Amino acid sequence: MSEEGKKRGFISWLDERSGLSAVFRFMREKTVPQHRHSIWYYTGSAILLFFAIQVITGFMLVFYYNPTLEEANSSVARIMTEIPLGWIIRSVHSWSASFMIAVVFIHMLSIWITKAYRKPRELTWMSGVFLLGISLAFGFTGYLLPWDDLSLSATKVGTDIPRSIPGVGVWVTRLLRGGDDVTGDTLTRFFGFHVSILPLFLLAVLAVHVYLIQKQGMSLPLAVERKAEKVKELPFWPNFLYREMVVWLILVGLLFSVAVFFPPSLEKAADLMAPAPEGIRPEWYFLFLFQTLKIFPAKILFINGDTLAVLLILLGVAALFCLPLIDNKPEERKGKVITVIAYLFIVYAVAMTVWSLL
Amino acid sequence: MKLKHSLFTRRQFLNGLLGGWLGALAASLLYPVFRFIFPPAREPDQVILPFADFEAMEPNTVKNFAWGSKPGLIKRNDNGSFTAFVAVCTHLDCNVTYLPEQRKFFCACHDGWYDEDGIQIAGPPPRPLRRLNLSVEGADLVIKREGIE
Repeated sequence: MSEEGKKRGFISWLDERSGLSAVFRFMREKTVPQHRHSIWYYTGSAILLFFAIQVITGFMLVFYYNPTLEEANSSVARIMTEIPLGWIIRSVHSWSASFMIAVVFIHMLSIWITKAYRKPRELTWMSGVFLLGISLAFGFTGYLLPWDDLSLSATKVGTDIPRSIPGVGVWVTRLLRGGDDVTGDTLTRFFGFHVSILPLFLLAVLAVHVYLIQKQGMSLPLAVERKAEKVKELPFWPNFLYREMVVWLILVGLLFSVAVFFPPSLEKAADLMAPAPEGIRPEWYFLFLFQTLKIFPAKILFINGDTLAVLLILLGVAALFCLPLIDNKPEERKGKVITVIAYLFIVYAVAMTVWSLL
Repeated sequence: MKLKHSLFTRRQFLNGLLGGWLGALAASLLYPVFRFIFPPAREPDQVILPFADFEAMEPNTVKNFAWGSKPGLIKRNDNGSFTAFVAVCTHLDCNVTYLPEQRKFFCACHDGWYDEDGIQIAGPPPRPLRRLNLSVEGADLVIKREGIE
């Protein structure tokens, strides 16, 4: 048998048993519409790129990281100083997390503003809100792992916030902390969340999310859909994929440049008994929530201010999850108001973030 | 099939019974999981410290001690008495510090202030700092949770 024949032989052997050719046929036939807003189609795969980098660098860091009270900080110090190229691996992991969350927010807002979640894509959006939550949970749990002063205080604050929810709140706090206080148990637990529980959840929800996108094809923005003329389409394979690769190359270049020149710091090991240092702050993507909590007074009428703030934030998250159901008449006035809310949200988040940095 | 005076059909009854069993089975499996993920509370009933370490404290100064996994502060008051606080902000659980020159407790996380008696005076704290019962028994300084005899 010739070389070519052998290869075809193996592929058809595989195909007979797996039906894999259906996937390839699908990829060949998949098209991506070309219009004014096509640029937002690239955000999804950019998130996947950063997630893949997180997985790879995460595997590497876990070889040396030690999630215990005594060793956590010094094992990160060892990664930064002794392990060959350890500093850049940690730096890429830390920066790629930020890049990923940033693109997640852009992805979400672009879908909100172009109303890509409208029927039949409500479930795609809802699974996306889950993915957003899991991504933020990754960031929150990862922030504690270097176990320095700042990350300890930020975690104390972050895990205490659910306590102001009446009823279940105190149990949520205990579940997160592994007890009533942030201790070594919290560190071990956060490590477990970060490297085993969250990745499994993320992969499961991601599979649903990607499946739904493939099933329904790319969404067209309302403005484009309204025009009667046919939209130009680009084959996914290989034309669109090549373009995505160009974007990936640029993003990887940017990520590594930032990671090399601005590696994350490592403060001295956290002391559970020491007073909180000044200037504690969470990761940048939590700053707008942090500032929101900060400006709520201790008491509003007879209600605890924090309880009110937390309940409002939860209400906001619930509204975000149900957004495609709320925004059920995208062409009408209600739909336009909801688009304006997206812009207002951007203004609010940016303003609060800047305020918290002042 | 349904008997004349019965509220359920036979199928409904059996489904309910089976569903109940399944529910009970699930609960009996989930209960230990639930118990396992919440460790027992660590807060001590009391802490005993040598009084000699605190006897010589100047008025308006504080000393640290470990109240379980939380920091505690023993403060010497102007009249020579002692007060014990849990040095944890009542807002969002950050550790507070005592600033003797201002006679205030301060939490750096969200700019919370308490006066020298631990009463909240500015910023977000909703309640005064938690106090602990403190007594001198022979050579020991005994610190107990409020309500423990």
